[in-house]
Amino acid sequence: MALSKRQRAKAFRAGQYALLVVVAAVLAVVADWGEIQRSFFNLEIAAEMFPNAITVALKNTLVYTALGFAFGLALGLVLALMKLSPVAPYRWLATIYIEFFRGVPALLVFIALSFGVPLAFGLQFDIYSTVMLALGIVGAAYMAETIRAGIQAVPKGQIEAARSLGMSQGRTLLTVVIPQAFRIILPPLTNELILLTKDSSLIYIIGLARDQYELTKFGRETLSRSPSLTPILVVGLCYLLITLPLGHLSRYLERRTGGKKISTPESTGLGVSA
Amino acid sequence: MSEAAVEITGLKKSFGSLDVLKGIDVRVERGDVVCIIGPSGSGKSTLLRCVNLLEEPTGGKIVVNGTELTDPDVDIDAARTRIGMVFQSFNLFSHLSVLNNLMVAQRKVLKRDAKQAQEVALRNLERVGLSDKVNAMPNQLSGGQQQRVAIARALSMDPDVMLFDEPTSALDPELVGDVLGVMRQLADEGMTMLVVTHEMQFAREVADRVLFMDGGYVVEEGPAEQVIGAPQHERTQSFLARVLDPTHQGPTGA
Repeated sequence: MALSKRQRAKAFRAGQYALLVVVAAVLAVVADWGEIQRSFFNLEIAAEMFPNAITVALKNTLVYTALGFAFGLALGLVLALMKLSPVAPYRWLATIYIEFFRGVPALLVFIALSFGVPLAFGLQFDIYSTVMLALGIVGAAYMAETIRAGIQAVPKGQIEAARSLGMSQGRTLLTVVIPQAFRIILPPLTNELILLTKDSSLIYIIGLARDQYELTKFGRETLSRSPSLTPILVVGLCYLLITLPLGHLSRYLERRTGGKKISTPESTGLGVSA
Repeated sequence: MSEAAVEITGLKKSFGSLDVLKGIDVRVERGDVVCIIGPSGSGKSTLLRCVNLLEEPTGGKIVVNGTELTDPDVDIDAARTRIGMVFQSFNLFSHLSVLNNLMVAQRKVLKRDAKQAQEVALRNLERVGLSDKVNAMPNQLSGGQQQRVAIARALSMDPDVMLFDEPTSALDPELVGDVLGVMRQLADEGMTMLVVTHEMQFAREVADRVLFMDGGYVVEEGPAEQVIGAPQHERTQSFLARVLDPTHQGPTGA
C-alpha cells in the first residue's frame, strides 16, 4: 500500500534517527576510550592548569579586551561623527581609515605596533598600551560603521523636538541622539565585543611574561609541556565562559529593543505632507 | 498691543523645484488662537514649521515677538525657547522618563536649577492632568497621554507662542478629546496658539480666526464662524463639504 506524503516524511525521519544511533554505537565499541581521554581530556593536566587559567589567563584576556574595546569605542564614535560631518575632508579621512583597517588583518596591526613602531620610531609601548591600541584601532573601524548606522537610525522627529526646545545642534547630539543611538546598537556592539575577545589572543605575537599570559598563550605554553589536547580544550572552554553569556546578552538585547525601538508613529510629519 | 505675536510677510518655501508656499501673509495678535485648515499638500504644516524655522524659508520675513527669525544672524536656539512646538507624532524623548522629558531642556538650555525645573515640570504635568505619570517612560503611555506630555514639555519652557502641527491626527478617536481639552484650556488661559488641524468642531469653537490654505496660498481667512460656517470661496466650500460629510456625494458624483 502506498504511503501518504506525511507517512513517508515520518518514515524518513525515523530512518535518520536510526542511522545516528547505529553510528554512535559503532563508535562507542570501536573507540579506545582510554586513549581519547588521555589526549583530549586528561584530568591531571587540566587540574594543573588551575587556578592560573582563571586568575591569570582568563583575567588577562578580559583586561586586554576591555582596554581595546574602550579605546575602540571612543575612537569609533569620533570616526562615526567624522563620517557624518558636513566637512568633506573629515568624511574622506574617516572613510580611508575605516576601509584601511577593516581590510588588513588585525595581526598585522599587532606586529606593526609591537615591532614596526619600536624599530621605526624608537618608541616602545608596554603590553597594555600595545593591546589597547592594536585592538582599539581595528575595533574602531568596525564600530564606527555600527555607530554611524545607529545615529542615523534615531528618528528625525526626536531631533526636531530637541531643536524646537532650543537645544543647539551639539547639545541635541549629546543629549538626545547619542544616548538613543547606543540603545539601538547595543546588540551589534555586544557582538563586536565577542570578536575583540577572540582577537585579544593575537597579543601572543609579542613576547609575554608569565603573568601577562592570556588564554591562548597560556594554553599553548601548557601544551608545550604536556603533549595532549587537554590544555587547548580547557582554554577553549574558558573563552566560551566569556563569549556564550555575551552572545545570550546580545540576543536578549536584540529582542528587547527590536520591538519598540521607536515608540512613536514616525511615518509622516516631514517635509511637504499635509 | 501694536506688536503682533507672529507676523509673516511674503513667505515662500520651495523644496527643490516644488513650490510649497507661494507668498503667505499672516498676522497673529497676542492671545489669539488661529487655526489653519486645508487639504493635505496645501502647505499648512510647512507654514507652521517655518514659524520656528524647522523649515528654512526660501523668501519672505517671519517676526515672532519682535525677533526676526529670517535674519541670518538671529540666535535661533534662543528664539525657539520662546516658541513651543507640538508634533503630530509626539516626539517625546524615548530614552527619558516623563519628568526628564519635561526637565531636560529647562536644565540644559534655560540653565534652571534642578529644583526649579522640577517644580515647573510638575506644575505643567498637573495642567495636562498627568501628575500620576511623572516617572513613566513614554512607551508606557497611550498616544493621547504622550501628546499631553509633549504639550507639558513645550509649556515648561514658558513659551510666548505655541505651535500645534496636527496634534490629534495620530491618535485613536477616543483619545482625541483629552488632547483637545488641554488645548482648549490653554486657549482660555490666553496662550497665543497657531494650530494646524482637521478638527473642524475645535476650530469653530476655539479659534479666533481660521485660515484656509490650498495650493500654497491662504485662500480665505476670517472669524471661524465665517470661514467654516459660511465660506465665501468655492475651494473652501468644496473642502469643507468633503471634511464635514465624508460620505457626501457631490453633484459630480463619486
